[in-house]
Amino acid sequence: MTIMDTSRLKSLWVLHYDCGSCNGCDIEILAALTPKFDVERFGIVNIGDPKQADVLLVTGPANNRNKDVLKNLYDQMPQPKLVMAIGTCACTGGIFHNCPNILGGIDKVIPVDVYIPGCAVRPEQIIDGVVLALEKLKGNAPVEEDE
Amino acid sequence: MMITINLERTIQILFIIFAPILGGILAGLDRKITARMQGRVGPPLLQPFYDVIKLWGKEPFIASPLQPMLVIGYLVFILTGLVLLAFRGDMLHIIFTLTLADIFLIVAAYNSGSPYSNLGARRELLAMLSYEPLMVLTAMGIQIVTGSFLLEGIFSYNLPLLVVLPAAFIAQQFVLIIDMKKSPYDVSGSSHAHQELVRGVYTEFSGYTMAIVEITHWIKTVFILRLMSYFWVNNLAIGVGLALSLWFVAILIDNIYPRLTWKHMLRTTWLTGFILILANLVGLVVLGVI
Amino acid sequence: MNPETLVAINVGLPVVSALVLLVLNDKRLRTAIVSLSSLILVSSSFLLYQAGGVVFSPGHIFEQVVVILDFALLLYFLYAGLKAKSPQVVLLGLAQIIPAAYFEFVVKGTHVENIMVVDSLSILLTLIINIIGSVVVIYALTYMDEHEHHIQLEKSNQNRFFFFMIMLLAAMNGLVYSNSLYWIYFFWEITTLCCYELIRHDMTEEAIQNSVLALWMGLVGGVALIGTMFVSYYTIGNISLSELLVAAPGHYVLLAFALMAIAAFTKSAQLPFQGWLLGAMVAPTPVSALLHSSTMVNIGVYTILRIAPAIHGTYLTYGIAFVGIFSFLITSIIALSQKLSKKILAYSTIGNLGLMIFCAAMNTSLSYSAAIILLVFHAMSKGLLFMCAGIIENRLHTRAIEDWAGLITRLPITAKVMMVGIVSMFLPLFGVLLGKWAAIGITSTAPSILGMVMVAMMVIGSSATTLFWAKWLGSFVITPLVKGTAKNEELSAGYKLSLFGILGLNVLTSLGSGYVIKAIVTPIVEMNYQLAWNIDILTLHSQVGDFMILPLWGALAAIVILGNLVSKSKGGEIKPPYLSGENVEGNPIGFRTTADSVVEYNVAGMFFDSEITEGRWMPLSTIAGVLLNLALLALVML
Repeated sequence: MTIMDTSRLKSLWVLHYDCGSCNGCDIEILAALTPKFDVERFGIVNIGDPKQADVLLVTGPANNRNKDVLKNLYDQMPQPKLVMAIGTCACTGGIFHNCPNILGGIDKVIPVDVYIPGCAVRPEQIIDGVVLALEKLKGNAPVEEDE
Repeated sequence: MMITINLERTIQILFIIFAPILGGILAGLDRKITARMQGRVGPPLLQPFYDVIKLWGKEPFIASPLQPMLVIGYLVFILTGLVLLAFRGDMLHIIFTLTLADIFLIVAAYNSGSPYSNLGARRELLAMLSYEPLMVLTAMGIQIVTGSFLLEGIFSYNLPLLVVLPAAFIAQQFVLIIDMKKSPYDVSGSSHAHQELVRGVYTEFSGYTMAIVEITHWIKTVFILRLMSYFWVNNLAIGVGLALSLWFVAILIDNIYPRLTWKHMLRTTWLTGFILILANLVGLVVLGVI
Repeated sequence: MNPETLVAINVGLPVVSALVLLVLNDKRLRTAIVSLSSLILVSSSFLLYQAGGVVFSPGHIFEQVVVILDFALLLYFLYAGLKAKSPQVVLLGLAQIIPAAYFEFVVKGTHVENIMVVDSLSILLTLIINIIGSVVVIYALTYMDEHEHHIQLEKSNQNRFFFFMIMLLAAMNGLVYSNSLYWIYFFWEITTLCCYELIRHDMTEEAIQNSVLALWMGLVGGVALIGTMFVSYYTIGNISLSELLVAAPGHYVLLAFALMAIAAFTKSAQLPFQGWLLGAMVAPTPVSALLHSSTMVNIGVYTILRIAPAIHGTYLTYGIAFVGIFSFLITSIIALSQKLSKKILAYSTIGNLGLMIFCAAMNTSLSYSAAIILLVFHAMSKGLLFMCAGIIENRLHTRAIEDWAGLITRLPITAKVMMVGIVSMFLPLFGVLLGKWAAIGITSTAPSILGMVMVAMMVIGSSATTLFWAKWLGSFVITPLVKGTAKNEELSAGYKLSLFGILGLNVLTSLGSGYVIKAIVTPIVEMNYQLAWNIDILTLHSQVGDFMILPLWGALAAIVILGNLVSKSKGGEIKPPYLSGENVEGNPIGFRTTADSVVEYNVAGMFFDSEITEGRWMPLSTIAGVLLNLALLALVML
């Protein structure tokens, strides 16, 4: 593994976007950042700026209003990037998948790398999901997700 | 005699070359100490290097055609300041060079076209407005005491600077807090894991431009710490110790204080800084030292 | 060519040109005459520099002409005051004409042995006047056409305009060559006349009001100079400035200098006389560029530079320095709140003039050099800034800098030149900052508490200037992706010559600032002080430190090269800014909001509206200024 690959694994900057979630999963994501679970020890930082983020954490289902925002944020992230769908709503739409304005899971809008089901997701599962994402990153540089 | 001078020069050149590495290690230590103060484990010491290398390898996105050059401008002028500092040049001239470097960053942020970086840029100007007079007054103090702005003068002066200009040393604490983008003065773009106006002045930098900005910021912090070490030049250990103690206090204050407004920043730095340094200088006049 | 002839050319040629231009109202002839005069004036100034100086008296006939013209002028002022129903003008006019008549006809004291004394200081001023003056007049050729087209003037009155503009050059040249206080006073009042006529040129209500304000404040200076004449005559027996400068210092001699200083304050718009310069911004921009930034207002600084060596070590000199630095502090802070381009430039001018006066009056070798350095570089930078501001205003039809945002895409050339102009005012690479650097080192010899307080004031003011220049600079490059309504930026040959001429001159003199100091500053300083500088190729060594300009330009070159390399190798796709994911396709500043409507974001400028209000600060500052000026008169007693 080159230095670049190691660095990519050890420094994951996160952009957290709430697509219409009930905030349950969002609270769990923030919990993962707290001292109890401390994801910063893996180099994960909630950076809030798509242009500097590597991982897009999305909660909530995709709908007609936020699909443009989601696509926009995804496009503003430079490669290599990963998308993690957190929670059942983000994965498939969950119990809302039949609602009129709901398109379904976020994979209807952007390509997803890791699905973490749960309602709400537990921080330990989020960390597991991150490890899974790192497996995806390992050895593949740069990661080509779309096209 | 010739050999000693060349050794001296080599040491300075090595210092300049390794300044980014030193800065990165300090940044890593910063995050580790902060984490421990917060009861966490914290990232590894080399984390800043992983961050910067990763950033360099990202797909390049820029906000405008001018952005790469402006960011390089920021880097080159900070390096120029560091070179001048290492070779004991004119302190006031060095401060103005630093201002020039900051203007490159600020114009780069204005040039990005986003309202967040616009507001961040203006707050960065206010931050500069807060700490620059303190540095200029310190330079003035050095000039009054040693007779010249040249840092070389500190080395020929018979007393350590800390003894004659303690207020200037305390004022440097404010400078450091603002430079390191630590609370309560991190209005223009906070240090890691904090957000203010998204990323404030850094919002529209990404990939390699962000990497350059990050490295330049490390060098700038090393610069200020080196300047603080000049407050006790006779003993390198004490000088470095003084600098690192201010650095530690900045981290401590960051973990205690919340972020405050720019008005508060301006008011406290100016009131305290000006009054302290002027009182110091007046005291020196009264005591007959100068 | 002997120096006397050169002096005659510098004073006489503009008079002749002005009269010709007054009579002829033809555009092409005007261009020809202006270009020719400018060429001759600039050449003769350089020749005079090489000659080094001269002392002589023009024939007796000229003395009589001056007397006649002077009284004609004063009668005209009275007439203007009566027409404008301004009691101040009438009273001040009478306060001049009665004593002047007494002095001329009863005391008969106006004769002086050596009427013209041309030394290094005169030559420096003449170079500034003629070079920058010529450039601005050439700029005015195009500007006035655009201006008259914009205000839809039927019959061009540019003949009047150019008459007074060029007459001003003659008067200024005459003033800096004069040694007779009467001649100095005469030329001084001619500049007041030109200022009055040029401010009211457009004949709007506002213009007329402001011209009267400028007139009576100028007349205060005239009264002060008459006072100086009387004090000088009754103290040393004549009105020769050179003899007054070497007279044994006593209370009355100091009083004469205090009065001259007050006259200087009126010309340089220091507190409390700042009102006229701020109001003078209604005039067409060439007037602002010539009179109110780079040329006429320098008279005040010139006066202080002249008298400083004679008041060395007195309380008066520190009093004058305090007025200067106080003006600098107040105007720099108020400038933070200004939203109109010319107002910002006006406040900055007053501030910088105050700084120069402070440096000159602090009376050390280094501070005196600093004053001269600031004088030279500020004239170039400010002239350039006003000229650019005028061009931009003519095309955008607004002076509000908030409407100028993103100018780099709308008026690329002018914007870039103006950005360099702004950078030249406050960043190290150019000479103005060199002057400021030298000024901060003033407390080197015999540091006093007052000295330290004044330098602290300077530091605060300087930080304020950094702030308002930087935020203006930033606003030029906002919205990089907006093509905007690209205005027609066609720049005439005259515009290009003036802009790039002054820009090039500024860059060259900054790069060669070491040479400039050796060739121009040092000879003036050495007349009265010890040498302060040791110049070598890379560094300017002063008594208190080293300043390096060339290495910084080297770094700049490295940045350009490196920047291009990195751009080419790494490049980067240009992405729209972050707008919380609500970017609108094709509109770089638009975002989607309620009901999917598109709104364009707008970030207002930072103007500290609630903290710094002109309405609150101005009256207090004026009162403080009056008190300080009165204190000056008291200080001569000490």
